[in-house]
Amino acid sequence: MGKYIVRRLLQMIPVVILSTFLIYAMVFAMPGDPTAGKCGERPCPAAYIEKFNAKYHLDEPLPVQYGYYAKNVVQGDLGENQYGRPVAEELSERFTVTAKLAVMALIFEGVIGILAGVLAGLRKGGFIDNLVLISTLFVISVPIFVTGFAAQYFLGLKWEIFPALATGKDPSLFSLVLPAMVLGSTSLAYIARLMRSNIAENIKSDYVRTAKAKGLTPRRVVGVHTLRNSLIPVVTFMGYDFGALLGGAIVTEGIFGINGVGGYIFKGIQNRDGIAVVGAVTALVIVYLLMNLLVDLLYGALDPRISND
Amino acid sequence: MSTQTTPATGEQHLLEVEDLHVEFHTSEGVAKAINGVDFSLDEGETLAILGESGSGKSVTAQAIMGILDMPPATIPAGRVLYKGQDLLTMPEEERRLTRGPEISMIFQDALSSLNPVFPVGWQIAEMFRVHRGVNKADAYAQAIKLMERVNIPAAKDRVKAYPHQFSGGMRQRIMIAMAIALDPKVLIADEPTTALDVTVQAQIMALLQELQEEFRMGLILITHDLGVVADVADRIAVMYAGRIVERAEVGDIYARPGHPYTKGLLESIPRLDQKGQKLSAIGGLPPNLTRIPPGCAFHPRCVMAQDICRTERPELLDVGPQRQSACHFSQEVLDA
Repeated sequence: MGKYIVRRLLQMIPVVILSTFLIYAMVFAMPGDPTAGKCGERPCPAAYIEKFNAKYHLDEPLPVQYGYYAKNVVQGDLGENQYGRPVAEELSERFTVTAKLAVMALIFEGVIGILAGVLAGLRKGGFIDNLVLISTLFVISVPIFVTGFAAQYFLGLKWEIFPALATGKDPSLFSLVLPAMVLGSTSLAYIARLMRSNIAENIKSDYVRTAKAKGLTPRRVVGVHTLRNSLIPVVTFMGYDFGALLGGAIVTEGIFGINGVGGYIFKGIQNRDGIAVVGAVTALVIVYLLMNLLVDLLYGALDPRISND
Repeated sequence: MSTQTTPATGEQHLLEVEDLHVEFHTSEGVAKAINGVDFSLDEGETLAILGESGSGKSVTAQAIMGILDMPPATIPAGRVLYKGQDLLTMPEEERRLTRGPEISMIFQDALSSLNPVFPVGWQIAEMFRVHRGVNKADAYAQAIKLMERVNIPAAKDRVKAYPHQFSGGMRQRIMIAMAIALDPKVLIADEPTTALDVTVQAQIMALLQELQEEFRMGLILITHDLGVVADVADRIAVMYAGRIVERAEVGDIYARPGHPYTKGLLESIPRLDQKGQKLSAIGGLPPNLTRIPPGCAFHPRCVMAQDICRTERPELLDVGPQRQSACHFSQEVLDA
């Protein structure tokens, strides 16, 4: 197991290098003058441009530029954004908010999605099953900005159940409830449907028949023997989804005014803030790869037939 | 019942199935899987239930166990008496407690019948933990003992292994260990050796027989393979389209079948003393259970069928000591 993890971590190195290089190349291939707008309404003086170019090695060929950048990243220095603030510091602030939101969305979609899926799958064709199928179809078909604004208007503004915004550097957990529900809604629908079909299939399996023949309570037949097997694909899905959630959510963050990673990257791209974008994406690539590893480890732990050696 | 094998008055059988009916409500109509099955089982006795796929033998077993999915299955009539008590009218919670300590079952495909995500020892130990409230350590210790009893080598080291890490024969031994864990009085084995190769089949059958003698269990052996039951069974019931068509002591049936269907089954077994001859098979297919033919259900496939077979269903009648046949021409079959 330890060997497997080390091997997987080593495999990440080329992936990280290649993906960050690609992002670096793309950002710096964007048209426009990187010093534009740095000196107010007038063009920058030659001395400033020279200093700027030297600082970011802009006169060197792209691979060399990237080399300098990579060297700094390895030392923990993601550079400064166009406002002169260290990217690493800004990211860690934003990332705390995004991580809180992601964990809350994951709990929401996991708990309710699995519960709805189990209830629907146990009585296929019944009332709950139809309710789950129709409501999840609705959630899947409606775009997230509609869900988001509708939730904000009704639950936040009109009925005042939840705070309508979650602004600031450290929004309260309560103010993140509504955004987390909006963010997790689509995945919740997929989880419910996945769980439903898994339960409906596994409940007919031979080992569930054996569990009944062993004289186990119906609760144990479902809760232990059927559930464990049905959860395997769902947990995998949730693992990947968590990786995606940690990448930030531009739309949801935008609606609720959340200072998360998604908005940071979006603004960075808009402002041609290359250093900020590359720094943020590099961090996300690493997070996503680590989540992938975690999912694979979890998969091996849940299903003994999968060997991770 | 007039057709009961052991007629003794006042004497109670361990297990008695009376006029059992099972129907499945499907989109194509009502499939009549079991249409009035009677048999009894005593302590230490082995009853073989023989038949093709779809003859209703597994459904009978599952109806006795009470593990049919209802719906789609319904049991419109019949009684299943265990020690004189009707299991079918028993409250479900009470009946659940009979599964394991009283009546137990093993299945055909041990790989799919064992839960793939739990260690085998855990699955055996679950019997003790759930039914007897034994703690984890003791339950595991008992599981190891059982695994040793069913001849699994290095049981102590393998108790935490998963089903897929065992061979087919070893998996079936684990199923057996699980089924006999609580000393049941009745063991139902549904095609226990079908998924195994021939040498392993013999080992499993020998093990079952040994355990049966040791625990004085009544054993119901469900199979489509006459060869498997020849040495093991005391009595045989042959099923076709949800009915018992012939019932006899095991030796009698091999020597002189009393129903054309049984005869056909026997003739379809390759025999050493008939080398070079073409193997005969029963023509046609078992009937669709939503449209069982009128009269004798076997008549479309029967070489002896006459007009009466198409209209009148033959009753299961005594045709000799300890044997019954449901055929209008049973005497002719016996004499042939």
